[in-house]
Amino acid sequence: MSATIAKFKASKYFGIVTLLVMTLLFWFVFRLLSPDNFGSTKLLIGYLQTSIQYAIGGCGLYFIVVMGLFDFSVGANIVLSSLVGVLLSRQFGYWGLILGCVLCGTLIGAFNGLLYSKLRIPSMIVTVGLMLILESVANYVVKLDTAGFPGKLTDKSVLIFNGAPWNYVVAALAFLLAVFLLRYTKVGTYCRAIGSNEYIAKNMGVNVEKYKFLGFVILHFFVGIMGLLTVSYGQGMLAVTGMASMDRNFKPLMGTFFGVAFTKSGYPVTAIFIGEFIITMIFNGLVALNVPTTINDFVTGAVLLAIVTLTNRGRKGSVVK
Amino acid sequence: MSEIILRSEKVNKHFGITHAVKDVSLEFESGEIHGLIGENGSGKSTFCSMLCGIYPVSSGKFFLEGKELKVRTQVDANHQGVSIVVQEMGTLPGLSVAENIFLGEEERFMHGPVKDSAAMNREAQALLDKYGFKFIRAESMIENYSFEVRKLVEIVKATYFGPKVVVIDETTTALSQAGREALFRVMDAIKKQGNLVIFISHDLDEVLEHTDRISVLRDGELMGTVKSGSVSVDELKLMMVGRELDKHYYRTDYGEPISDEVVLEVKNLSVPGEIDNISFSLHKGEILGFGGLSECGMHEVGKAIFGGSFDRKGTVTLRDGLDGSSEGIAINSIPKAIKHGVAYASKDRDNESVVLADSILDNICLPSLDDLANHGLLNNGTLRRFAQKYAELMSVKMRDIDQYVSDLSGGNKQKVVLARWLGKDSDILVLDSPTRGIDVKVKADIYNLMSELKKKGKSIIMISEELLELLGMSDRILIMKDGKINGEFLRSPELDEKDLIAKMI
Repeated sequence: MSATIAKFKASKYFGIVTLLVMTLLFWFVFRLLSPDNFGSTKLLIGYLQTSIQYAIGGCGLYFIVVMGLFDFSVGANIVLSSLVGVLLSRQFGYWGLILGCVLCGTLIGAFNGLLYSKLRIPSMIVTVGLMLILESVANYVVKLDTAGFPGKLTDKSVLIFNGAPWNYVVAALAFLLAVFLLRYTKVGTYCRAIGSNEYIAKNMGVNVEKYKFLGFVILHFFVGIMGLLTVSYGQGMLAVTGMASMDRNFKPLMGTFFGVAFTKSGYPVTAIFIGEFIITMIFNGLVALNVPTTINDFVTGAVLLAIVTLTNRGRKGSVVK
Repeated sequence: MSEIILRSEKVNKHFGITHAVKDVSLEFESGEIHGLIGENGSGKSTFCSMLCGIYPVSSGKFFLEGKELKVRTQVDANHQGVSIVVQEMGTLPGLSVAENIFLGEEERFMHGPVKDSAAMNREAQALLDKYGFKFIRAESMIENYSFEVRKLVEIVKATYFGPKVVVIDETTTALSQAGREALFRVMDAIKKQGNLVIFISHDLDEVLEHTDRISVLRDGELMGTVKSGSVSVDELKLMMVGRELDKHYYRTDYGEPISDEVVLEVKNLSVPGEIDNISFSLHKGEILGFGGLSECGMHEVGKAIFGGSFDRKGTVTLRDGLDGSSEGIAINSIPKAIKHGVAYASKDRDNESVVLADSILDNICLPSLDDLANHGLLNNGTLRRFAQKYAELMSVKMRDIDQYVSDLSGGNKQKVVLARWLGKDSDILVLDSPTRGIDVKVKADIYNLMSELKKKGKSIIMISEELLELLGMSDRILIMKDGKINGEFLRSPELDEKDLIAKMI
């Protein structure tokens, strides 16, 4: 029996199965504690709808985090590309919304990538600066929206991504695209190679600068898609200042951490998706129990650390960075 | 005479003010295994790195089959028929075995923008099977395998496409006997195909056995090329060093009794999966050798004694004198080991002994900072004088003590490690593979140091895979097999390798 357990623990399915078990466990505990306010079928569908938008952002972040880079401007891009989408939707309906969000997001990614490679300073610093710039631009864009309440999606025909089935279609396409890019293109191999040892990767002929640039483009393409769902769910977007958009960085990032932890097992996208669902469930479970927000965040962070440690703990004495 | 397949013409390499390779003009024949030897810092790895596109050439040219060879990257070199198995780790964690083998060559498996991973895995597995490495799975992540297995994957990567020139750069030290035999088979196959192997190794016996000709570099310059069958190890050493080394390479004393004074006692030492219940004592002024096959557990013994192993069971006790009733000092952590005069030099020098991204000064002073501090404050002048003294004592070949250790050759890195422990005046030194990947001159220096320390009453545990080294330097040899001590031998002129091997296998 112990040999079977050891074999299972060493297999590539251990991590994913553990995540699924944890999902069931959290559902069960919160359901027990708050049966009226948590975990019914309808509510679970709600958690799923919420989590898929963060999971999309998490998939995008994976491409740069696995290379050892970072991007604090994700939240600001969600705000800006959503507002551009709203603006274009006034003229072109939901196609304008889609193109506005995704195109704006992708262009910002290209701009980020170019700035990072030209300035040659750490990505964290570059993107903090960009975050402030993008917040300002978003405030300018919202002033251009003079038809109706600025930033608000009033035309019901544009709200097709507000719920099923189109939000699931968008999410499924995004996940399939992420899996495709990681497994079936050079991008996935080279991002991991660069993250592993940039010097050796360069020596193997990998154009490191090109793939870092591409990483930012892909990230913000996914951020654009996330923005599409975010603005649809909220039926609009508010421009913010003073780094308030930073708050939007962390939920997708949490999913990314799950993905990075599962790179070795070959299921990063699945791990991101399940991880975001767990985090959303915990958050809603604590709300159902009337737990104050400050404690809510504490518990969510602690659970994230616990799950990632449990599923991907390094050997005793191994170097962890 | 075979035709010339590769030629270098006045090749030079400068690293800042350092002239690492000086006007080297060499000719290599097709269908030969050509040894390239020299002391650490002689320029042989730099020369080959330029050939393989790792470094750009400062001046001079390479010609392959009569045509000038211009390479910008390793993949570029591969496309032109030149490849290298590097000394350090050349595979990337985070990628599968197949992805590592075909890194930079993905175009072969692309259908438009889509990569055919299944085809890549199939082809990689076919190659691994062909090389006799069926136990390596192409779809597995590379970090699931040991350093040696990853080296075998590198050998496949460097040779599967039939390059005209293959450079093997000090790879054998990372391999077990089985791995070395696999490598030599590959080298022979390349030779039979009429291509060239450039074999770099510090093991001169190995070089003489497996090469047709040998070229010697010293201080970046070519000293000469000789036929392997017509030269001896001593003659090669003379070419490498420029003077006759003292014939007494190892110790020559026999019959000296080992002191009764026990300084270290190890009882029932176990580390799960590595060592199984071993016990032994170390005496004052003794050089105690540990030998065995590479996975026998001996390398873990050194770490365990130093307090660096996890889940260690048993006791490691410093004993003060003959009195067996005294409790002694239990060594159960690295800080405690250092505090009580135990030093450790790991086999994995670059990852476990030296801080590469730091200066010689900081490396030497590191364990002695508390001793050098004055009321908690460090004086730069004090540190510099301390580091300078011990660097000079060990004759570290350096620009100055502010030079980064990463710039030093393997032998000089080892000298920095020993300088550090000399500075700490440690009474017990645990040296794991102290002369691994080091040239003959530095080896001789290290053996002399060990003899000097022994005379001063210091005790040494030397863990080594080189039987001649164990026979030449140890007062007593413990042979390990499958995590246990399987044999014990006292120093004697009649003791030879066969006696040790009988207990190893």
